[in-house]
This record gives sequence, C-alpha cells and structure tokens, in this order.
Amino acid sequence: MAVLSLAGLHYTYPGTADRALDGVDLEIGPGLTLLTGASGSGKSTLLRVCNGLIPHFHGGVIGGSARVQGRDVFRTPTRELARDVGFVFQDPELQAVYPTVERDAAFGLENLGVPRGEMLRRVGDALEICGITHLRSRAVGTLSGGERQRLALAGVLAMRPCLLVLDEPFSQLDPAGSAALLSALEAAVRSGTTALVSEHRHHLVRQRADRCLVMGRGRVTACAPDVPVEAASRAVSRGAGVTPQLSWCLHRVSAGPAGVAVLHDLDLAGGAGEVVALTGANGSGKTTLLRTIAGLLSPLSGSVERRPGRIAYLPQNPSALLHRATVRSEIAWTLRRTGSAGRADAALEELGLTAVADRDPRDLSTGQRQRAALASVLAGDPSLVLLDEPTRGMDAAARAALTAAVARIAERGGSAVVATHDLQLVAAVATRVVDLMDGRACERPALATVAR
Amino acid sequence: MSTRSLAAWSASGLVIALSTSNPVYRAVVLLCALNLLLARGRRGSGTRLLLVGIGIAALIATLLTLFLSHTGQHVLVRLPAGIPVIGGPLTLEALSFGLATGLGIAAALLAVAPLTLISQPHELVDALPAPLARTGAAVGAALNLIPGTLRSAAEIRDAQRMRGWRARRVVDWPAVAVPVVLTAIEGSMTLAEAMESRGYGTRARTHFGIQGWARHDTLVSVTALLGAAGFLALVATGAAPGWFPFPALSAPRISVPALLCCALLAVPSLRVSR
Repeated sequence: MAVLSLAGLHYTYPGTADRALDGVDLEIGPGLTLLTGASGSGKSTLLRVCNGLIPHFHGGVIGGSARVQGRDVFRTPTRELARDVGFVFQDPELQAVYPTVERDAAFGLENLGVPRGEMLRRVGDALEICGITHLRSRAVGTLSGGERQRLALAGVLAMRPCLLVLDEPFSQLDPAGSAALLSALEAAVRSGTTALVSEHRHHLVRQRADRCLVMGRGRVTACAPDVPVEAASRAVSRGAGVTPQLSWCLHRVSAGPAGVAVLHDLDLAGGAGEVVALTGANGSGKTTLLRTIAGLLSPLSGSVERRPGRIAYLPQNPSALLHRATVRSEIAWTLRRTGSAGRADAALEELGLTAVADRDPRDLSTGQRQRAALASVLAGDPSLVLLDEPTRGMDAAARAALTAAVARIAERGGSAVVATHDLQLVAAVATRVVDLMDGRACERPALATVAR
Repeated sequence: MSTRSLAAWSASGLVIALSTSNPVYRAVVLLCALNLLLARGRRGSGTRLLLVGIGIAALIATLLTLFLSHTGQHVLVRLPAGIPVIGGPLTLEALSFGLATGLGIAAALLAVAPLTLISQPHELVDALPAPLARTGAAVGAALNLIPGTLRSAAEIRDAQRMRGWRARRVVDWPAVAVPVVLTAIEGSMTLAEAMESRGYGTRARTHFGIQGWARHDTLVSVTALLGAAGFLALVATGAAPGWFPFPALSAPRISVPALLCCALLAVPSLRVSR
C-alpha cells in the first residue's frame, strides 16, 4: 500500500503566477526514494506538501489531492500530520529547539503528549539508530554539522513516523558525516519507515535507493534517472611541474577565532592560475583558512602575503550577500563598489541567471540563490577567489556553471581556493588538493583524492 | 535546586526588597542573593558582568539622588547655584537616601538574578505552569536563535566588506542591516516550520525533563514564602518601619522579627555551605 499518494497535485505560492507544482501524480511505498531535479524544479515544494507545511504554513493555491496513510493533507494540520510524517530540513543549525541533545530529541514527543517513561525509551532508541547515543548529554551547540543532522533525524525518528522526508540533508556534511547520516537513514528504512530524500549530491544516496524520481518544472518527469555525474578531471593535472607566480602565501601561520588557534604553523601558498581545493572534516579549519587568506581574520602568529588585486569571497551562507531588490542590481552593486569595469549582464549570462535577472534573489530556490551570490562575488574580474562550500544546494547545471567560472578565472591568471566536501567538484576544478586535519595541512595529489 | 523553588525564593526576595525603604533589610536581601549566586551560579554565566551592571545602576541612582535632591540639614558641599539642575547644596541626607535607593535596586535585581544565572533557559521553560508551556517553548526556541543571528551579522559584515562595502555613511548600513534582518527572519521561519513539523501546538505537552523536587526545595520555598509573607505583615502593621533621612539624618530602626524574616532567604545558601 502506498504511504504517500499524490494525484493531479498543483500548487502556486502566494503572490506568484507560475505553478511551483503542476500536476504531480505519484505513489510512494515502503523503502528509500530519492528525489532529484534542477534547482527550482519543485522538489522542496513537493516535500513540504507531504507534511502539510504547504498549504497550511505557506498558504497559496493548491489543488488535486495529497494523502499520507490515507489522511487528507489539505484538511489535516501539519502538527497533526507530525504523527505520521517526520521532516528533516537542510540546515541542521536551524532545527534545534532545546540546547541539549537528549532534550531536543524529545521535543516532538513532548508535543504529542507521550508519557515520560515511553519518551525515555523512544529517545534512547532513536539516538541509537542514529549512532549518537554517546552524545545524549552534550550541548547542541558543540556538535558538528553531521552530528546535528543526525540529531534532527533522531528527533523525528523518536516520533515513529511512517513517512520520513529529508530535504537536502547531506548538503552541509563532510564525507564522514554523510556516511553516518546515510547509515542512520538506512537503519530507519530497515525498521519499516518509508523515506523520501531530496538530494542534489545524489551519488551519495542513489545506490542505496529503492527508486529514484526526477523533477522538472513542477512535475515528476522520470523514474530511475540517468543523471550525469560530473567527474571531469580536465583541470587535475593542469599546472603540474610548473612554478606559477605566487598569488597568496602563508608563512608559519597560526590562526583562529577569538584568539584560539585552529590552524597551527601553516606554510601554504597558491599561484596564479591555480585552483586549490581545501578538504577536511567539519571543523577542521577550512573556513578559518579562507578568512585568513582573505584578510578577514588576522593571524595569531606568522604572516600572510597577497598579490595586489581584488579578492572575492563567497561565504557558506549565500544569503549573507543578498540585499538588493534584483539579481541584476546585486551584481551591479559589486561592480560599483569595487570600481570594476565589467557588465552585470555578462556575469548573469556566465552563471545562467539571465532568466531570473530581475527577480528578488531571496525569492529564488537555494541553488539559484547560490548562483546569484556567486555571480555577485565574481563580478569584476577578481584576482583571487575564495569560495566556502560553493555547491551547497546546487543542481548539476549550477555546478557546471560554477566549474566553468572557476576555470575561466584560472585561465585568466587568477587564483582560486575552494573549501568543499564535494569530491566531484574537487575532481572537476582543482589543480591541487590540500587536506586539513586538526589545523594542519597535508597536500594530496589531486587524482588520488578523486579516486577515493 | 529546583527552578520552581528558586522562583519562589526570587519572588520572596523581590517582594521584601521592594516593600521597604529600610536599607538594613535591603542589605540582608542583597547579601543572601549574592551568597546564593556565588555558591550556585553557573560558570561562565555572566555573573561578573551582571554584578558590574548592577553596581553601575546603583551608582547612577546614588549620584542622581545626591545631585538632584538639595534637601537636608548636613551640607557636604555647595555647588554654584548658577549650574542648572545640580546647582545648590549637596547634603549628607541626599547621599544617604541615594545609597539606600541604589541598595534597593541592587537587592531587587540580585533577587531575580539566580533565575537566569543558576537555571538554564530550558529549565525555566519547563518550570512554567501548563497553560504557559507552549508559549514558553516558543520563547525558548526564539532565544536559541540569538547566538546564530549574532554570528551571521559578523559574517554578513565581512562578506560585504569583501565586495567593497565600507561603513562610511548611514546610507551604507542597509547593505549589512537588510541581510541581517532578512536572514534572522528566514531563520525564524525555518525554526517555526521545524517546530510545526514536530507537532508543536498539538495538545497538552508532556515534559521529558521532569525537575526533581527534594525536601530541600520544600524547605527553601516554604521558608522564603513565609519570610516574605511575615515581612509584609510586619510592614503593614507598622512593626517593620521604613527609613526616610529627610529632613534630618537618623539611623534606621531595626525590627528583630523583620530581620529574621529577611534572614530566612539565607536557607539555600546555608545548605550549600554545609
């Protein structure tokens, strides 16, 4: 029997004319279902219908039918559907309600009025399935991204939903965190929970999934997708054996926020035309290193040198940059502020944003926002580009645009440093790979990393 | 120590501090609160910062009274009458009353400080009565957003600096303020979605974190509430007189029963130091 049934489902967000969902017919039964598709194709919207956030929380115009375990989603409030549908969001930082692990995992059970004895048992079971029993007394603020995401999963598993919905759960996790979350997810599915997972980095889930769905323009367009994997090693050996002109250089640098060293005695440099990929687990110091190179963080000891020229920096959260009314004006603002001669239209075209140039960047999907932020940063020929997890929430097209943009910067003699967990991106753009572990750098051959 | 017994203790201390102008009773409340904070306050909870803040507030109250009240028989110094507002005699009586006022402010603030410096925010939420539980959970969740918002403000400022932003004029600030506000709103919306998705608001909530209630909590609550009730009764009957230094300074009168009522606030501290 289908756990989730959608028939002729269509939906339009408030204040818009276009349908975000346009006639979805779908039945999902037990097992793990992977949902993929381009940014803005309607994946997140579809997931939010599953637990009634659409239409109850977001409003808008909805039609067709949606049922979970036979219950009419349109007529059942989200908080009532919470008994049947567990939802894990993309950002692990914005899901915790209580400051300690055990307490937060119990939040949903408290809301359902579950007696305390039963609550203790269920929380214990959920923490065990997610492999975080040892963290039960820890403060949520001290957890890594992967641990937080597993806590979010434990919080909904404790409620014993029959349908588990996860929206881009791996997008901010390092390989170890992703593997742990995937194991927890598999354990939940083995125990009889139906899981629906939306994920751009679908290679993580595809082999474990019982079925795959592809969305496009608000419809489910295919089952069992043959999604291209970007594994171009075009840039991997570029520059090998050549000593390029230095673009940035760190001499015995120790650095960290609030005077606490996260990086220790680092000697590292990048040359013109090089794309250095920084890899390493969550908390290994990648962002600290980028901020130190950018000059946003002064080293505690040692020195940093940079070639003259504009430095572009993309932070992890693309929303951090977006404040103008349209994507075009956002790019124009950078050009004006940096005194650059480039044109906004060129930057829009380079990242495939022409169609959304006059839209409010905050109304775009996560992947489109990421591209808008990237275009805003890269506008005006920067000589050094620093990107912090640039592929978060990006679809294949956006990744291709990013890869091409970074390659063009390198070809023009610029330099790029990319902090990422995304090994496909590393394979596609990196000329060098630097692995950070416990604040120390270890240079790896790029190809070895790709093959890992 | 249970948050509810702590709340009873704080309420009693606050009532005593605010119901009398006698600096002796206020001083006893202050000492009891200070002792409790130092014995039980969480490490890194901002006790030192709070004490500095309270000290500044008390000092301001003292100076305002000293400089604005030109009444009293014992003149300490006379400022030129031409100085607006503060010109005129500064008296010992005004200084004394200012000190007593500052002491009252400090005692009242310190009486409620243990609620935030000894208990965790979620313990306060758990301690709320059932009708307020949902509101309390929402407030607690909102408080969780504050550190993230502060972090994102710093991140946004840095990111915009790298795009050429400089804080030179007021019109420059929207480039940072707008994304900070919008990011905070979006964060709140996501949190609200997450809470709704986890059944928030469904029905009467149960509590995972049952707070223990030991005999000591009963002792603390009963003694504190009895102390406050007794003190109020003594004030109402005139057996615990207040203190007013004008027009001539005099020593505050002390009632032993009232002093004992105040001293009942020392019960939790006695337990700690045993």
